[in-house]
Amino acid sequence: MRKERVLVAMSGGVDSSVAAALLVEQGYDVVGATMKLFCHGDDVPDRPCCSLDSINDARRVCQQLGVPHYVLNLESAFGHDVVDDFVSEYARGRTPIPCVRCNTFTKFRDLVRKADAIDATWVATGHYARVADGRLRRGVDHAKDQSYFLWGIDRAVLSRMLLPVGAQTKAETRAVARRLGLEIIADKVESQDICFVPDGDHTKIIRQKLGSDAPALRTGPFVLSSGTVIGEHEGYARFTIGQRRGLPGGFPQPMFVVAIRPADRAVVIGPREELLGRGLIAREVNWLTEVDSASLLGTRLGVQVRHRAPPVAAEVIRAEAGEIELALDEPVSAITPGQSVVFYDGDGVLGGGVIEAARGQRASLPVLAA
Amino acid sequence: MPDPIYLDHAATTPVRPEVLEAMAPFYGPRFGNPSSLHRWGREARTALDEARERLAACIGARADEMCFTSGGTEADNIAILGAWRARKADGRNAVVSTPIEHKAVLGAVHQAAKEGAEERLCNVTQAGTVDAQSFNKLTRPDVAVVSVMWVNNEIGTIQPVEDLVATAKANGALFHTDAVQAFGKIEVDARTVAFDALSLSGHKIGAPKGCGAMFVRRGTALESLFHGGTQERGKRPGTENVAAAVGLALAAELACAERETECARLLALREQLEAGIRARVPDAVIHGAAAPRRAPHIVNVSVPGTDSESMLMALDLQGIGCSAGSACQSGTASPSHVLSAIGAPRELINAAIRMSLGSMSTSESIDRVVEVFARLVDKARRLAVA
Repeated sequence: MRKERVLVAMSGGVDSSVAAALLVEQGYDVVGATMKLFCHGDDVPDRPCCSLDSINDARRVCQQLGVPHYVLNLESAFGHDVVDDFVSEYARGRTPIPCVRCNTFTKFRDLVRKADAIDATWVATGHYARVADGRLRRGVDHAKDQSYFLWGIDRAVLSRMLLPVGAQTKAETRAVARRLGLEIIADKVESQDICFVPDGDHTKIIRQKLGSDAPALRTGPFVLSSGTVIGEHEGYARFTIGQRRGLPGGFPQPMFVVAIRPADRAVVIGPREELLGRGLIAREVNWLTEVDSASLLGTRLGVQVRHRAPPVAAEVIRAEAGEIELALDEPVSAITPGQSVVFYDGDGVLGGGVIEAARGQRASLPVLAA
Repeated sequence: MPDPIYLDHAATTPVRPEVLEAMAPFYGPRFGNPSSLHRWGREARTALDEARERLAACIGARADEMCFTSGGTEADNIAILGAWRARKADGRNAVVSTPIEHKAVLGAVHQAAKEGAEERLCNVTQAGTVDAQSFNKLTRPDVAVVSVMWVNNEIGTIQPVEDLVATAKANGALFHTDAVQAFGKIEVDARTVAFDALSLSGHKIGAPKGCGAMFVRRGTALESLFHGGTQERGKRPGTENVAAAVGLALAAELACAERETECARLLALREQLEAGIRARVPDAVIHGAAAPRRAPHIVNVSVPGTDSESMLMALDLQGIGCSAGSACQSGTASPSHVLSAIGAPRELINAAIRMSLGSMSTSESIDRVVEVFARLVDKARRLAVA
């Protein structure tokens, strides 16, 4: 007997293709869909998630699997929720993660509505993550773990998510692709770039949306923390905290971007020590487990401030109205406004938020009046 | 699941068995190239000539006025671009058309504009017909060619071609009409309406995809798009698709012979469909319903609070095939330029579903369509509130 219907988000890549194939094997009523999120026209060579080649690959995989395939036009919503946010974050001197916003708003909200429209009980993707025991958890392949990007989804969606490749390694996924004869995608090259940024130049889209005279794209000073101006840059949107590339030379020690100040278009640079943060503030906090806000104070979590960073122990020293302040047990380098901080409990994802600011000195719990 | 229901005849139609049968010999023993001197060639030439005569007769044209093409798009392109290119040297640089044309016409018009033409698109009414006043203002002695479709493919409204032709001719402009949706549904006669060029498409009338024809009135100068041989009087070089020409001619004859009875049948089905929808979904909007004349086979309906894409998928998964707007190459349904042009509100544009009737449509299937459509509308509304 056939299991319930599942809408599978298919980018044309090997992970989502194998996810769909595994679900077919497991007896689900699979419907494949590729989201059209933006339009470059025909003049951009193969890029994931929109290009005709990718859509065609997803379509052909579905043909091979014998399941329907649709292309969903989510351009307008994506433009608003992901692209506009991307541009405005850079304008504010921050470094966004568009994939987080896409997961939060497009894949696990807008796509879920489409699933409802076609009576699909489940929504599936090719993410390397798992839902187990009602909790979102890391993927089994730690090198590919994508749980970091899912902190923002609505908790209610967890009970409708199927993540078929999360319990295996990437190598196993490719092996499945070959076993199932999905030659079209088995050896496809992975892209690490942002899907809507052709050729990797993110300033192009900023220029498109805000104009070439946008403050983030205009020249400005390189300054030291002391305030000394030591050079000129071509636009603070080209920089992110912790960056070494593109900085003026001539210093005895390695120098890094330690802050971006849109007010005077300054890019602040400093040595390694100035990159270290001992605390952080995050906003837009989202919880994927039952949380009692009253008892959050003093709670200890494992936090990651980057996709690839190892988790660091931290303590909640303030939590209110979607904002959280953490004190980190050990200093962490390059805590970047706009990036995500994700709270872990072993391999379980507790939640996360958008980093607002780093704190240099370790703060502590406010001392309560006796 | 019950039998699937095809409601997208305006997109394409199945090849009629008689048409397939008539074409078969030309893939077999009668395979010759009409340009060849020998008996194989003569036989093919005869078949082609006969097909041409028979097709011409269907629209009151003369055989030498019919030119076989690869379909409606090609015919639109030759007629519009070819006419403009041939006439711009005479000081006629403008092209007049409408914003509700098929993309093949608009594409050709835009290309002419790229080459230096002055593109003029007249206004259309909310009911989906050409605003005659606007058209008359734009059609002046500096116009090379005018193109107005006879029946709109998205909303089925019939344009007042007879009147528009008169204005064009009075100003010395060539008049082209895309009759792809009109042929077989309304009377198309070159003896009573003075159009200079006209496009036909085979796969809308039970002939194969990839074949069509263009009517070009004697004395009309057109530059060809293709260069090469002398076939089709030099207007369309390339070895003729004899099988397709034979198939198209038969399909056209059948369509003409059946036109009155089939249109009456389709009209009844359309009325059943519209009445059914209105009864179950009182606030459904049928685009073009207010037009003075409508083709019998097209219903373009929007239900506020729904979206086309979700409805189309849900209908498909229930076995019912419809369409919406114009599909871009990626396969998504983009908002309809026709509905935008007639001033339909955004909410309705995003909800539009086109249902088009034809040979496969029956009264029972219409009942099921109404039932499923109404149920999906209810669900969409419940989800929207949730």
